[in-house]
Amino acid sequence: MPYLDQYTQPLTAKTAAHLLRRATFGPTQTEIANFTGLTADVAVQQLINNANYSPPPPVDLDSTKPTAGQTYLDKAFNGDRNFDFGHYLRYWWLGLMTSQTAPPSLLDKLTLFWQNHFVTTREVVDDYRFVNQYLLLLRNNALGNFRTLVTQISKDPAMLRYLNGNENEVGKPNENYARELQELFTVGAFDFAGNKNYTEDDVKAAARVLTGWKYNNYWVQGSQSIGTTFYISKHDKTDKQFSANYGSPPNNKITGRTTSTAGDEELTDLVTMLLNHPQCPRFICRKLYRWYVNPNVDQTIEDNVIIPLANFFASPTNNFAIRPVIVKLLTSQIFFDTSNIGSMVKSPADLAVGAMRFFNQPVPDMTTDYAAFKMYFDFMFWRMRDLQMALIDQPSVFGYEPYYQTGYTRIWMNTTTIALRSDYTDAYIWRWLQVKPGYKMGIDLVAWVTALQPNFSDTTNTPSISCTQVLDSFANNLFATDLFQSQKDFLINTIMMNGLQCSSWQFEWNRYRKTPTNEDYKNAVLYRFQNLMKYMLRMAEYHLF
Amino acid sequence: MKRRDFLAAASASVLPVMLNGFGLKAMSGQSALVQSLLGTTALASDRALVIIYLNGGNDGLNTVIPLDQYSLYNGLRSNIAIPQNSVLTLDGNAATGLHPAMTGLKNLYNNGKLSIVHSVSYPNPDQSHYRATDIWMTAVDANQTSDSGWAGRYLENRFPGYPVGYPNTQMKDPLAIQIGYLTSTTLLGSQQSMGIALSDPNSFYQLVGGPNNNTPPADLPCCEAGELIAYIRRQQALSVGYAKEIKDAAGIGVNRATYPPAADKNYLADQLKIVARLIDGGLNTKIYFVSLSGFDTHSTQVDTDVTIGAHALLLGKLSDAIAAFQQDLNLMGKEDRVVGMTFSEFGRRANSNNSKGTDHGTAAPMFVFGSSVKHRTIGQNPDLATLPGTNGNKEIPMQIDFRRVYTDILNDWFGTNRTTTNSLLFHEFPTVSLFSDTVETVTSGNWQDRSTWTVGRMPFANEYVKVNAGHTITVGQNIMVKNIKLNGKLKFTGPYKVRIVG
Repeated sequence: MPYLDQYTQPLTAKTAAHLLRRATFGPTQTEIANFTGLTADVAVQQLINNANYSPPPPVDLDSTKPTAGQTYLDKAFNGDRNFDFGHYLRYWWLGLMTSQTAPPSLLDKLTLFWQNHFVTTREVVDDYRFVNQYLLLLRNNALGNFRTLVTQISKDPAMLRYLNGNENEVGKPNENYARELQELFTVGAFDFAGNKNYTEDDVKAAARVLTGWKYNNYWVQGSQSIGTTFYISKHDKTDKQFSANYGSPPNNKITGRTTSTAGDEELTDLVTMLLNHPQCPRFICRKLYRWYVNPNVDQTIEDNVIIPLANFFASPTNNFAIRPVIVKLLTSQIFFDTSNIGSMVKSPADLAVGAMRFFNQPVPDMTTDYAAFKMYFDFMFWRMRDLQMALIDQPSVFGYEPYYQTGYTRIWMNTTTIALRSDYTDAYIWRWLQVKPGYKMGIDLVAWVTALQPNFSDTTNTPSISCTQVLDSFANNLFATDLFQSQKDFLINTIMMNGLQCSSWQFEWNRYRKTPTNEDYKNAVLYRFQNLMKYMLRMAEYHLF
Repeated sequence: MKRRDFLAAASASVLPVMLNGFGLKAMSGQSALVQSLLGTTALASDRALVIIYLNGGNDGLNTVIPLDQYSLYNGLRSNIAIPQNSVLTLDGNAATGLHPAMTGLKNLYNNGKLSIVHSVSYPNPDQSHYRATDIWMTAVDANQTSDSGWAGRYLENRFPGYPVGYPNTQMKDPLAIQIGYLTSTTLLGSQQSMGIALSDPNSFYQLVGGPNNNTPPADLPCCEAGELIAYIRRQQALSVGYAKEIKDAAGIGVNRATYPPAADKNYLADQLKIVARLIDGGLNTKIYFVSLSGFDTHSTQVDTDVTIGAHALLLGKLSDAIAAFQQDLNLMGKEDRVVGMTFSEFGRRANSNNSKGTDHGTAAPMFVFGSSVKHRTIGQNPDLATLPGTNGNKEIPMQIDFRRVYTDILNDWFGTNRTTTNSLLFHEFPTVSLFSDTVETVTSGNWQDRSTWTVGRMPFANEYVKVNAGHTITVGQNIMVKNIKLNGKLKFTGPYKVRIVG
């Protein structure tokens, strides 16, 4: 089987939807239609080129404040509003993910990958300017160069805070960052065969390389800017010897420097050494594969996908550029292989953002309609948190558990989260959330079926559509897998019709067509649509992608 | 023959032993020793285990403090060392004290309901959070991996076929419950979690809904999508299947003890409060899993006043939560049904860092609590004068392999067949006599050598002692024990005496 060879067939609705579900947070029907017929290569280039690197900055979303709707990152630090302003960054980001008016882009799904890779959290970092700078670093470099990303994140103020790099000084090392830099950010703890990739002494040596970096103006009320400073007086100027895991002498030694540029020089050397570790590109490519294709990596996948992709990632011509790796992976035959469609459980972000997009729930304008914008994302954020995916608040530096723990994405699903997910999707049926006057969140099912019915008002000459047509429309692109005929029969006979003949519904429907102002007639048909769509969104199938 | 019957039969045949002129009391069927052995191996079917995970790697040396080596302790970590006069002292144990935030655990210790198991780890300890957590939860050697958790394997063995056919009349309750939203690796069986996640028993039924009489088609697409759909459908069925039992138990159960107030934000206490209520409500769930996060104290684990700060807050929550929970069990009359244990993926380094914190280390104490524990101290304080380590770093070496604690829980608490336990844990591990009055030998050796004994220290004068068959114990001092049973030999290096205080 050709694994990384390019997938050249024109995309069908099914494969286009697969690409969009994986590369973004889920498509609209229009996007699926627009991508159908494209080649994978053209489609992925569009998803890359559509990235917007200068979206409007976050604004104050608290409508009780005089500064509501105004930007705040360009103002002096305001500790009184610290939580809110940090929290609104998440809504800002969710807004970029959820928008249905911007052309589809893969940037924010990939940014979330990096945020879940180089984890820091709003709760621990706390100063909202630190969180913002960190998030922008990841977003602006998500498709850039991995070497740059590792170098910059190592002295990023939020990371210096989250993993205690700020306290790492000569003679008084704090090993927290040095360990995670190796274990989680670059080489990984073990190779695929289970051998250790570095030693405990390597952790200590890396900590010494990284001594001397400090962030500025943390939580300093009224301060205008933040940043990082290197203090040579706090830096360990001696040579740092690493184990043979990092090559043979002199390549596994970092020469101690003594000038004010020592920090950057040694960091450059360290990053080079980490990236030269043969396991580093494999570790990153394996993680990307697990994010985009399938969490399960067996020896065949390791040999035929991970290793070749890693060799390409680290090749001199590519030199750790990320974008070509993403293109290669998302246009590969293995990505589109049938066995990889529906092979993951949707994360809460895929579920929440995906449903908003699929059912075309428009995102209110952040700047002019901030109260509605906040209402919309309050609903999403807190439910995502209950489903164990608080945005920029991972439970630990490892990221969300389903991306690394045995069981992988099925960890998202258990007795409690399944029930909470049902509660979430039910909201699209019951439509109890008023985003703003005139905008009730949820699916207008009667309008949906009305649009399906040819010549709606002409009951005399145009017969009612069938139950099957209703079901087929509801199910169109809703699931990653196909329904069996037995399931379709069940959904119509048992769920929609509750044992009655479909003709009963057609009678009800025609009655409503004749008198659409009659609320009872409308409710009679709505009730069946609600039962059907509610059930479909609660089906196991809906939670795969 | 069940172990219980075997002991009853064996005890009748033990005859008086004469050795070097010393008379040793015969083991009659009525002796306290035999009675205690019988008592601990009852195959109680209503027993439960509560596992408390301290997420992040708890700093053991500031939790259980070696008062007998205070100046060495202070020298290792002067910026975070708890002042000697603030350390909580323990009845009958001058060598060891507890962090000042842990009055609740101190009282449990003094009442004989808390075992401190010293310096627990495993050979070649790992200092990665992820890997170390995995080792503890899956109970493997450091160079092995397993896809299932130790408690999950136990439950899978005990309740074969789960979840197909569950709940049923024999086991109508969830096998394991994790309070929260995710289920731990600890509870993973070979195919899936053996437990269910439950955040709020009040709303669970409402959230899940009642049983649905419509049986949907069971068709599955191919490949992983099919496996995932089958998995999700099973979880759906389980949540519905257990919802009523949980609702009923939560409805009947009450909390009788006073738990920490909401202002304390003691989430561990909140979780244990739910567990107590479910136990009181009659749930027969075997294992409850709860957790407390924040133990990864690389920085500022103490305030300017070193007795308070982040770590003190955590230990206070741990102690308050366990104390309230134990009191609750006591008031509902079910203390003898429940034991609890704490664990953390590793301890922290003996020497502090300059950020008033501690970096990742190796061994640390575990707590086992409940009215059924038989020894307040297992192992002894680490010897701070001889700690291994390089570059000025000092690590606490292992005394007790954590799988010995698991072994006792499986064998003596849950009454698992020993061979089964050994296969569940991939090796045979010696007991630490958690649930047995009797201190046994694990090997031939010197009487005063801690590694000779199941409890990882010399027997106390108030303890029963058993020298196992094939073991020869060299005695170079006068010894005092409550009673002694010799299936092996004592070898005296001089005119020393064994005093039986009875």
